[in-house]
Amino acid sequence: MNSDPVKFWPLLIVTGVLVSFVLAGLRAKSQEMSDYGFSGRYIGRIGGGAAIASNWMSAASFLGMAGLLYLQGYFALAYVIGWTGGYVLLLVLMAGQIRRFGKYTAPDFVGARYDSDVARLLAALISITISVIYCVAQFKGIGMLFGWLFGVDYGRGVVLGGAVVVCYVVVCGMLGVARNQQLQYFVVIVSFILPLMFLAHRFGYFWLLPQFGYGEGIQDLATEFNINFTAPFASGSLFQWVALCFTLMVGTAGLPHVLSRFYILPNIRDARWSVVWGLFFIALIYWSAPAYAVFARLLEARGGYIPDPVAAGKMADIMVLKTAVMGGVPVWLTGLLAAGAVSAAFFTVTGLLMTGASSLSHDIYYRLINPQASESRKMAIAKGGTLALAALVLIISLRPPALIAEITAVAFALAGNTIFPAFLLGIWWGRANRYGVIAGMVLGVMITFSAPLCGNAIPLVARIFPITSSAFCGAPLVVLVMVVVSLLTPPPSEEMRRFLAEVVHGHLD
Amino acid sequence: MDKRQESYEVNLFNPKQGYMRGEVVLILAILVGWGVVNFGFQAVLWLLAENPLGEGIFTRLTFFNLPYHFWFTAQFLPLWFIILCVIFNICLDRLTERHSRRRDRTYE
Repeated sequence: MNSDPVKFWPLLIVTGVLVSFVLAGLRAKSQEMSDYGFSGRYIGRIGGGAAIASNWMSAASFLGMAGLLYLQGYFALAYVIGWTGGYVLLLVLMAGQIRRFGKYTAPDFVGARYDSDVARLLAALISITISVIYCVAQFKGIGMLFGWLFGVDYGRGVVLGGAVVVCYVVVCGMLGVARNQQLQYFVVIVSFILPLMFLAHRFGYFWLLPQFGYGEGIQDLATEFNINFTAPFASGSLFQWVALCFTLMVGTAGLPHVLSRFYILPNIRDARWSVVWGLFFIALIYWSAPAYAVFARLLEARGGYIPDPVAAGKMADIMVLKTAVMGGVPVWLTGLLAAGAVSAAFFTVTGLLMTGASSLSHDIYYRLINPQASESRKMAIAKGGTLALAALVLIISLRPPALIAEITAVAFALAGNTIFPAFLLGIWWGRANRYGVIAGMVLGVMITFSAPLCGNAIPLVARIFPITSSAFCGAPLVVLVMVVVSLLTPPPSEEMRRFLAEVVHGHLD
Repeated sequence: MDKRQESYEVNLFNPKQGYMRGEVVLILAILVGWGVVNFGFQAVLWLLAENPLGEGIFTRLTFFNLPYHFWFTAQFLPLWFIILCVIFNICLDRLTERHSRRRDRTYE
């Protein structure tokens, strides 16, 4: 890697795209000032959907998913299904009710619904942990991208990229840059699909919709090289597939930065419909991701170079870019692809660091330690918190423990084991109380990390609660414990139960 | 007194009358469609597998040039989830309108 040259044109395009986001944000800010009050109405259902999708797109969707598909074939489709099917759960079980409840961050909801500072603290700590784990995956993506762009190894790439992303967050925060999420989504989707169309065209497949065109590639792999890309259980058993898929689904419905998306739109009906648009926009990327994996396999096989599993695993997370380079995609298009990947990772990091830091300053410092704190003091804590979290993430990501999508899956497992049950029962069962939720969340944390902690001593634990897929058995267990503990302890206050019945559920009766 | 207390019991499996009952029936129906089609198909794939890799009738059939099982999981299931969400939203929109006393579309 050390002898690789600096990729000049891609670097220029990446810089240009990032700078143009700052400029567009500044322009939007000054416009918003002039016709303040209309901005909420402007985005509408489709715009709201694009915002949901751009909030969701991360290095895991852009790089990690195609990388895993490349390595594991059919098994990795569990990620595609988990990350789309989760939105069904979110929509039918929670979206409208959370909006009517009126608390939009996980610690705020848990603290208010269960009327408990301990539960709020636990939820805040869990939110911060989820942010950190999720950010580590993004940093791994950023590190590999910067390593590729500057022709340096991963360690230098991640330090360089980490510094740049922190500067970006700080600059955006200081200038008060508004996030134009519709524009972000547009850049991400175009930069993902254009190179794919080019590749499909080059292979002579149906290039207008490469999402369908790659089917011929699978056939060619099988007939020319006898590579069976699609065998269902080649990389994992039925249980492993279902457990991973289910975990990602409940994790999606419990991820703090996803849950807090439902208050941007003016009313519930628009919020519900924007989820559908958001799911469609997300699916556009996920329908395309397998194509990159198939093309990568095909290019390698035709070039007569099939890497051994270790080497393949090392480059899998940047496989999307390597495929474009191998396939002879023009340099400006490769640059655009890199810019899309960098943007997706940067915006996710920005959002996550801010969520984590606000949990730190609002839910922990202000609500629990110093309720008399001034706004400027809270602000200072939030800023310091952002830097501290970024430093922590950087240290962990110097030695990344797994592939991007796998690291992300751990964050989903934690969310599915803790926040999802707390919201589910909090909304749908008036009798759930603070003791139940505290017991449930503590158990959820223990389950999530049980496999690395005691999986060696007790092999059964590692089999039932695999680190990336622990919520399949974990979430139902946590729900059960919450129900039992709640029934054994006094019910929540009458006001809360009345509020649930009359405002959250009975709004039209 | 007893009756009043009952009126604010919230329970997914024991919804109260009216709007919430209709909503819960709809939610359960969508969840059944969500679970059966997705996990059911994987189970069928496993049941029809002829070797440990899981190859069988579905992996030999093709659709849009893709092996049928790959098409179903990678392309149809995300579409199916979108369809489920659209059905849910349409039904819930109707339900809310039917139960909205003032036929007010700006409810919150």
